Amino acid sequence: MSIILDHVNYIYGEDTSLEVKALDDICLTIPEGQFIGVIGHTGSGKSTLMQHLNGLIKATGGHIYFNGEDIYDKDFDMKKLRSKVGLVFQYPEHQLFEIDVFSDVCFGPKNLGLDKKEVELRAYDALRKVGLPEEFFYQSPFELSGGQKRRVAIAGVLAMKPEILILDEPTAGLDPMGRDEILDQIKQLQRETGMTILLVSHSMDDVAEYVDRIIVMNKGAVMYDDEPKKVFSHYKELEEIGLSAPQVTYVMHALKDKGLDVEVDAITIDEAAMDIIKALKK
Amino acid sequence: MGIIRAKDVVYEYIRRDEDGNVEGITKAVDEVSLDIEQGQFIAIVGHNGSGKSTFAKHINAILNPTEGTIWVDGMDTNEEEKIWDIRQTAGMVFQNPDNQIIGQVVEEDVGFGPENMGIPTKEIWERVEESLRAVGMYQYRKHSPNKLSGGQKQRVSIAGVLAMHPKCIILDEPTAMLDPNGRKEVIRAVRGLNQVEGVTVILITHYMEEIVHADKVFVMDQGKIAMEGTPKEIFSQVEKLQGLRLDVPQVTMLAHELKKQGIPLPDGILTTKELMEALGV
Repeated sequence: MSIILDHVNYIYGEDTSLEVKALDDICLTIPEGQFIGVIGHTGSGKSTLMQHLNGLIKATGGHIYFNGEDIYDKDFDMKKLRSKVGLVFQYPEHQLFEIDVFSDVCFGPKNLGLDKKEVELRAYDALRKVGLPEEFFYQSPFELSGGQKRRVAIAGVLAMKPEILILDEPTAGLDPMGRDEILDQIKQLQRETGMTILLVSHSMDDVAEYVDRIIVMNKGAVMYDDEPKKVFSHYKELEEIGLSAPQVTYVMHALKDKGLDVEVDAITIDEAAMDIIKALKK
Repeated sequence: MGIIRAKDVVYEYIRRDEDGNVEGITKAVDEVSLDIEQGQFIAIVGHNGSGKSTFAKHINAILNPTEGTIWVDGMDTNEEEKIWDIRQTAGMVFQNPDNQIIGQVVEEDVGFGPENMGIPTKEIWERVEESLRAVGMYQYRKHSPNKLSGGQKQRVSIAGVLAMHPKCIILDEPTAMLDPNGRKEVIRAVRGLNQVEGVTVILITHYMEEIVHADKVFVMDQGKIAMEGTPKEIFSQVEKLQGLRLDVPQVTMLAHELKKQGIPLPDGILTTKELMEALGV
């Protein structure tokens, strides 16, 4: 399940005085099974870009290929695309509505026209994948904690069996442990299923340890597209566009400037600690 | 007596099922006592559901305690006739900037509070100007709020509270929905209010980096105050904080990790500068 974006543009209010280029000549290849972080400040175009991937917004220029098929072809099945590319919006728990958790997760697959048994199997499997204990299955979703509600909402999308999962700010508003738990769960999901996952965030700290690749968006264009270490080496440029590298990156650079012989590309605390100890022993 | 004082505050609510039958009683705030001095910068942290927002809502009488008492500048929040005075003394800023801005133009929005208080027009404009300057939004006074960024909107919300001349501002996760730049802008504005204007600040947050400059930190868990102290005292206890579903700034964590591996470092390092000094580089 690969997606290729070929010179994609999106312009609001084209040919009017209010014309805004929200996406500017985006070329990307998203191969199967990658875990990708999409980072950018508010208004950088990252959400607009994500909404192109399941056809919620149609590009004003360029092409998007889903498994080699142009999604803007007349006979392309958009409905199929939407069931293959699952989008979890920001604060997805606001979209919970059923009387109990299990029914809520069943809603998506039920709408796909599957039979009852298949729907329930999928709901069960999805809830297990997000790590929600069974005792909560028949509770009202509104009685759960913030992190649990969010899991239920993610399960609702997983039950559609998407091949690509897009999560928009899945950790917003959660406490620190809740953040780690959701991200660990997503990472595990990705490892177990080999699903392609795109994680949209403005927090570098969040994605640094988890993803294989980071795409940095700025002013509607792709500014960097590389593995985390290489992206964070541009920490000064990132700061200029309203982002920041993980705090350890700054520490390592500061130590290096003071003459301690450390590698500056450590992105996790363990890596940094090991590196500092090594440098101190020299 | 401090500007905000709470004595043995308990808040319970009754959970009901769909038919209205009582399912149980939840104690969201459990015997909280604290005393906050005028001019302090206070941070309250705690995991989701720890009771910190419920407690904060008591400070400007959105909720009233089931047991115990809260005094705001000496006024008991249970006295209904004092409620407007209490809300003018302790103003509140909420998480979502889009839910608290009502004006079509920034300066009108900021003027809404003092206008409702019956302040003369000329003074309203003076207050609007000084409040917008205090949060660095004066040049946007003629703009439409919906064209602003999240951080800018949140600063307008703060100016709106400031224009009512409160002695205390409570901010309930004001940066949760903002990007890193927006977060910095808001925290900078809040620190400015505290240091320059002397407003008492109570900041509720999940971001540990935002509280390193606080005078005092309260950590809540299961409706109780689980820890209290200066940021240094709190962040010295890495394992205990993690047990309460919280974390520490990355620098603090790094210092903790180095210490565990045998590098002699003091506890509770909060900034890169402190770490460098402690490492002697």
